[in-house]
Amino acid sequence: MDRVKVRICLGTACFVQGGADLLLFEDFLAPELLEKCDIEASPCLNQCRIGNGIAPYVEINGIIHDNVDQDKLIKLLQEAVNAGN
Amino acid sequence: MNNVFIDVDYAQIYKHGQKIGGDVFLLSRNPENHQIVATLSDGLGSGVKANVLASLTAHMAHKLSFSPIDLNHSAKIIMDTLPVCKERKISYSTFTIADVHYNDDNTDIELSLIEYDNPLALRFHGSENIPIERVKTTLHRSGAFKEEVVSSSHMTLGVNDRLIMFSDGVTQSGLGLGLPLGWRLDGVRKFVTEVIDKNPDISSRELSRMIVQRANSYDGYSSKDDITCVVIYIRRPRRTLIVTGPPFTKEADEILGEKIREFDGKKIVSGGTTAQIVSRVLGKKLTIDMKCWSKDVPPSSKMEGIDLVTEGMLTLSQVAKILEKRLNVADLPNDPAKKFVEILLDSDQVHFLVGTKINEAHQDPNIPVEIGIRRTIIGRLRNALEEIYLKETSQEYL
Repeated sequence: MDRVKVRICLGTACFVQGGADLLLFEDFLAPELLEKCDIEASPCLNQCRIGNGIAPYVEINGIIHDNVDQDKLIKLLQEAVNAGN
Repeated sequence: MNNVFIDVDYAQIYKHGQKIGGDVFLLSRNPENHQIVATLSDGLGSGVKANVLASLTAHMAHKLSFSPIDLNHSAKIIMDTLPVCKERKISYSTFTIADVHYNDDNTDIELSLIEYDNPLALRFHGSENIPIERVKTTLHRSGAFKEEVVSSSHMTLGVNDRLIMFSDGVTQSGLGLGLPLGWRLDGVRKFVTEVIDKNPDISSRELSRMIVQRANSYDGYSSKDDITCVVIYIRRPRRTLIVTGPPFTKEADEILGEKIREFDGKKIVSGGTTAQIVSRVLGKKLTIDMKCWSKDVPPSSKMEGIDLVTEGMLTLSQVAKILEKRLNVADLPNDPAKKFVEILLDSDQVHFLVGTKINEAHQDPNIPVEIGIRRTIIGRLRNALEEIYLKETSQEYL
């Protein structure tokens, strides 16, 4: 099974609008979910420039998701892990 | 920007049990006249009486050095003014005056040294001791027990030269304790050579502190006299480059890369998009360090060849806040803003390379107001660095 590749945007706009909460992923993600994901941060995913969405942005397996909060991230990762199984 | 920096600092320990010192050090920088005057005076005895005498002497010496009067003549005026102790028939205080003149770009540094009864100053080039040629003038004062000798010397200092002045608390430390005749000038000379050999770039602040602490240790950590040491160090300035904001045009990206490559000193890149541009033009990988951040400041990144890579506006605002409020670095959370401030405080000259492209992401009305405009924050940073921390700063737009 491939691991889920996650990139959290940490541009200024994303960080102040909720990206900082996502950085606490080790605390709010279940360990069994955490071990199936490779989570890294990106200095900027350049999404606000394109402008189809609201910060913060997260890229999961190459797909951009917007307006991500902790609950949404859990849901998205769960879906991605299930899809991979 | 100057290519030479004159670093003057001192360290002092009062006689054990005293709350006021009989050694007085005064330093003035007068940039308009291109002059720096450092005066060290030691008053007879210790405590309040000694402090009054030493302050009197140091201030006289200081004022006269800034006047057009010849330094030798000034010394004579001071000597004539100084009272002579009735019981001991010796002068109430001693002094050393270092009068430094330099030209516009801080080169051609000329130093005149006047010494009266303090231990002789030491000159070093790197760790090598260089003898100072002194011209001695003898003065006869009524009531004095002996002839008094004022020595004057003149030298041209270059990069890597140091002049070290101290009070007799240094040379006489350990007297009768571990060392029969005290530490003496030879001991100090040897110690300084060893210290500079080990750490050739040691700052004036560090070196003076080491000398004073060593003297205090010879006194059994219960100093027998005021211990004061002054170091004047001519060195290359420590420079820092701060790159923030993407250049206005894409063509300027290469110029930015070139400027970063050529810069000699510490390099900070501040801004996510800017970091990505720098990473691309320099061909170096950018990785985020997710361990180093706080709720106010996003994580820093690592890039080969760059000392610190941070997010932009939040980090810069936090840095400006720390500098303006003069917060103590040791008390700060371990985040990129702290690392940023540490680098700044360690530099003499800070150059800002500011990209002028507008960041679309910051136009979002949901973003807090304090993020503000890059230029305003740079202005605050420069102001704080110059006014509070006496650094030289410069700025360039791209």
